[in-house]
Amino acid sequence: MSQVFHEIEKKIILSLRDNPKQSPETLEKSTQLSPDQIRRGIEWLRLKDLAIVTESKSSIIRLGKNGIESFQKGLPERRLLNLLKTGPKKLSDLQKELGFVFGPSMGLARKNNWVEASSDQISIKNIPSELPGEKTIKLIGENKISKDKIDIDDLTTLLKRPDFIIEDIITSKEISLSDSSKSIKLTESSGEIDVEAKVPETFVARTHPLKDTIDEIREIFVTLGFSEILGNMTQSSFWNFDALFTPQDHPARELQDTFYLDKINAKKIGTAEQIRKVSESHKKNWRYQWDISEAKKMVLRTHTTCVTIKHLAENKPDEARFFSLGRVFRNEKVSYKHLVEFNQIEGVVVGKDASLRNLMGIQREFYKRIGITKIKFWPTFFPYTEPSLQTMVYNEKLGKWIELFGMGIFRPEVTKPLGITKPVLAWGGGIERIAMLKYDLDDVREFYNNNLGWLRSTTKCQ
Amino acid sequence: MPVVELSYSRLQKLIGKVSKKQIADSLPFLGLDIESENQDLVRIEYSPNRPDYSTDFGIALGLQGLLGIKTGIVKLNVKKSTKYPIIVKSSVSKIRPFVTGIVAKNGKIDDKTIKQLMTMQEDLHFGIGRKRKKSSIGIHDLDKISFPLVYTTTDRDHTFIPLNSEKEIAITEILSKTIVGKDYGPLLGQSSQVPIILDTNQKTVSFPPIINAAVTTVTTKTKNLFVEVTGINKEDAEDMLSVVATILQSAGFYLESVKISGSNNSTPKLEQKKIKVSSSLINQILGLNLTPSKITSSLKKSRLDASSKGSIITCTIPAYRFDIFGSMDLVEEVALGYGIQNLEPTISPSQTIGKINPVSIQLKSLDQTMIGLGFLEALNSSLSSKRVLYEMTNRDSSKIISVLDSKSQEHTILRDSILPGLLENLSRNIHETYPQKMFETGIVFGLDNPVSEKINFSGISAHKDANFTEIKSILQSALKIGFGINIETKTITNPTFEDGHCASVVLDNSQIGIIGKIDSKIIENYKIRVPVVGFEISLSESILKSL
Repeated sequence: MSQVFHEIEKKIILSLRDNPKQSPETLEKSTQLSPDQIRRGIEWLRLKDLAIVTESKSSIIRLGKNGIESFQKGLPERRLLNLLKTGPKKLSDLQKELGFVFGPSMGLARKNNWVEASSDQISIKNIPSELPGEKTIKLIGENKISKDKIDIDDLTTLLKRPDFIIEDIITSKEISLSDSSKSIKLTESSGEIDVEAKVPETFVARTHPLKDTIDEIREIFVTLGFSEILGNMTQSSFWNFDALFTPQDHPARELQDTFYLDKINAKKIGTAEQIRKVSESHKKNWRYQWDISEAKKMVLRTHTTCVTIKHLAENKPDEARFFSLGRVFRNEKVSYKHLVEFNQIEGVVVGKDASLRNLMGIQREFYKRIGITKIKFWPTFFPYTEPSLQTMVYNEKLGKWIELFGMGIFRPEVTKPLGITKPVLAWGGGIERIAMLKYDLDDVREFYNNNLGWLRSTTKCQ
Repeated sequence: MPVVELSYSRLQKLIGKVSKKQIADSLPFLGLDIESENQDLVRIEYSPNRPDYSTDFGIALGLQGLLGIKTGIVKLNVKKSTKYPIIVKSSVSKIRPFVTGIVAKNGKIDDKTIKQLMTMQEDLHFGIGRKRKKSSIGIHDLDKISFPLVYTTTDRDHTFIPLNSEKEIAITEILSKTIVGKDYGPLLGQSSQVPIILDTNQKTVSFPPIINAAVTTVTTKTKNLFVEVTGINKEDAEDMLSVVATILQSAGFYLESVKISGSNNSTPKLEQKKIKVSSSLINQILGLNLTPSKITSSLKKSRLDASSKGSIITCTIPAYRFDIFGSMDLVEEVALGYGIQNLEPTISPSQTIGKINPVSIQLKSLDQTMIGLGFLEALNSSLSSKRVLYEMTNRDSSKIISVLDSKSQEHTILRDSILPGLLENLSRNIHETYPQKMFETGIVFGLDNPVSEKINFSGISAHKDANFTEIKSILQSALKIGFGINIETKTITNPTFEDGHCASVVLDNSQIGIIGKIDSKIIENYKIRVPVVGFEISLSESILKSL
């Protein structure tokens, strides 16, 4: 335990030695410190077990709106009795005079036998010198007063009445020195401070943790020789689905899975040749009436593959490596594992390296660089790649294999109509999944809550 | 992806000499994901392109191949028969023109088999049937039917006892009162006539694609089955039939043909097809160097037949493998038969130079600058709500872009501004220590030919002394250090900001955004208890340079 004390602590200790039990308010007066300095000083001493803070609760009484009125004008029943002092009065006159308090005051007066009524004349029968409640009203007046200084019986009659009495619970603190503080020697200050004391937290400004993972993945792709392409989040169904050989009546294209923009259609979806060849591929292989109006419907992209295929169709490279990274959308119920909007990374390799084993090799290298070494590949199905695989990575925490990226080689039914002649290896997956592993999160919504508590405290992942 | 529940012990009986572990280890290499296991029961996810995997019979065929227990094609043995004619009337041609069918005899049907067949039927209806629109199946007790059958149309007041019912009801009632009627009735359109299959005694067999008649219900006592498939496209109907026929044959039934005639209909052929592929394509795509004989044996493990002549492989494909379109599909079949686990990943050195998109580089540099200025980065969804975007912030909502049928009320409108989301973030963090300073860069959307996407940049600062000077100083420094540009501010009024504390952000005489103190009513809307200042500018046209 450090025995270095702050000036504030010294002043408080000295004051408490003179006067062993004090409230923070009296300490303020005796030490000439500000309320904030007193608060901090007490807290420091308490943490060092040098001060004892005892809290006590007390009940404070003050008058409510009707109570104040009664303090100023007298209780309603007193006002009634006062009116009758000069002789019997008509019920209707009393009513006019007293307004809406007439009813309750008349009730009380009759119940207590203070008045009597004959036909419609009211007259005094017998008035006590002090009515119930009058003592309390006078005592409180316009001030606050502790409940234990009041005649409880007299108070109770007022507590039942609306807005007469307001009761506040006040917490008061009493500070005293602990035994261990009594032996402390307070030396004159030589400028030293308590270097072991706790200090307040400083909040770091930082990039978003998910953005850090996105940036890390971007860097990895670049070091593997890939260039970044960007594309729109809003896309025509043509590029999001038709160009990728997804038939127009495919369940994935339905409203419950995909976000369609309300009343907005693409004006131009592709070149005449692209449209003709894509529609022919659909008609021939899927055997249905391809409808251009269906292809013109605008959607929020369900994958970044639409950006990739559009880029390929426009550039028709013989040899290339590029990637596309960004938000994609699914019309799902939001839950701890599903978001309507999440980030996807997608990479493609065009050209002579394009073999399935090579695709697997690039995957293995990618995972190695983000720190995942236990992986395996399983066959799977995607509408636009053939052959298709998925990567399974081992999650130590869950103790099981989980699915990460999907991959495959674009089908000729996809590439040929768009004039792409070389094989295209493609793979992709959700970035949030990887980020969840890295930040040890089990609720994907955390990334978009912008909860400052989490953002300010999460350790940066390297 | 559809899920099917199987039992290991049943699979073991179907496959032959194999352990439970061998099955569990091999399933993923058929493309089947094990979703969960509970003692003998296993739930498996299969791809919608392989409806034959909707039953344990189909999965057993696949595993036999993969494990080398039985390889090569599963040949359909259909005995030609004239005993089962179906005559098609022309009246169906405009509603549901095609019918096809098959007879399956002498099978044993236990409860589990019935359950498997029903799952298969439902999955076929959903997948290739496109919710029964393209094609649908009826499976019946053959012995309750007198041939020939007629596939024709009938009035909507036609009555019969439907499956799972005891009383005779009219078609109008089936369509308006039963779940299947309500779900699938709309497929029949508005016409007064609906399709019907009647037997020779005018007894109703089926009301496709809605429901079968109760009289032909399949039970554990059923020995012989009649399967009919109806649809709007002949090939789709026959594809569906080929799956059912293959599964029934695997389940131990003997198949006999149904003779179909009339109105462009004909007896199904359920033919195999042949596709040629060169071994060099296979080796190039897989990155292997397999001999033609290794290729053919791999294809056989995938339950296809194959022969080689030189480097050309000729592959025979059964009718139920209609997912095989061309040579690339065969490459995948070779890969599966060869075993994905046997493919060793390789990496060839990159011959390309990677590069980050210039826009990403500039945005990252802006992020770093803002962090230097003490601002924390926030990320919000592009899909937001009318409440956050317009109601809370008093903004003009005349040009909103909304999505159809969102399952989440908080995600219905594409954001046209970032600032409201940041204010919402402050609102959720009122219990956290101040000052709170956040920024976000992201896409905002606008109605324009048909939708424009621009990158905006917004920042906010909330604490008890927050003021205009502070936020202007922040924006000015960020743009000066981040991009080397100088901005000016010009007095304006805006409903989100407080009058007298609001300015437009001007760069080279054009307005690129807005800056100021958020109006106190809006602060109140968000239940924030400290002053908030903020800005939002567009980066796309004026600041970001793209190549």
